[in-house]
Amino acid sequence: MKWVTWEQVGVDRMACAWLIMKYIDTHAEFLFVPVGKTPLPEGAEPFDIPGVRLSHHRGHCTFHTMLREFDLTDPILRRIARVVDEADTVQEVTLESVAPGLDVICRGIRLVSPDDHVALERGRLIYDALYAQFASEAIEE
Amino acid sequence: MEDAQVKSWVLLVYTIPREPTASRAYVWRKLKRLGALLMHDAVWVLPATPWTREQFQWLAVEITELGGEALLWESRLLLDGQQEALVRQFLAKVDTAYQEILGDFERGNADLPALSRRYQQVRSQDYFHSELGKQVRTNLMAARGGFDS
Repeated sequence: MKWVTWEQVGVDRMACAWLIMKYIDTHAEFLFVPVGKTPLPEGAEPFDIPGVRLSHHRGHCTFHTMLREFDLTDPILRRIARVVDEADTVQEVTLESVAPGLDVICRGIRLVSPDDHVALERGRLIYDALYAQFASEAIEE
Repeated sequence: MEDAQVKSWVLLVYTIPREPTASRAYVWRKLKRLGALLMHDAVWVLPATPWTREQFQWLAVEITELGGEALLWESRLLLDGQQEALVRQFLAKVDTAYQEILGDFERGNADLPALSRRYQQVRSQDYFHSELGKQVRTNLMAARGGFDS
């Protein structure tokens, strides 16, 4: 299946792409369009674009929306959603110290990547790492 | 963060239903948290950067979801000196907050973890790199007992 989003991916879209490839559509193909461009290509599911179903809702990031829309209830994914919320949007309550750092790292990944495809690919390691670390903390508790 | 050469600004104008008041307060607090300036009780302004554009864009969507209406522009100031005046307003705003932190230093009862967090919060709104902010940073670095700057 095809998925489309705006160019210049950052923390939220890297997280979403990781989630899609790992839990929703293992053969996902990603398309990128310039910011604000309409109409969006047909036959591709848009995400993290204002106004679409898979986007920010009620102050939460798109990753958070995706968990809800695809009924993903893993508490570790929910914790990652909290991190991405804090990294990508201005939140009144901040609980996850990794969030500002994750935002900076994801922006940096885009800067050192030749295009968005490569950036998403590189971002996967970051989220695999975050998931593994949170999972190990959950066991410790 | 942008330097003083920025010539472009993002402007948000919105209305939101009076009730529930929680929604109005929520949007207002978010704008304050972004460090946006309210001009003439009508227009919220931030210097245009990819980050501020994105934040305003998502906030506009949220306002719509809360039953309001939001218009988002990007624009330039045309009259001589107005841009500099606006930059000074942004700086004055963060400088007030930095000054409070410096005041706490001088009173000698500095709660360093709390001051560091306040510094980080102010810095996230310091779009024009205030000199006073550098001073606060220097003080914090010195207070932790290190030898580097």
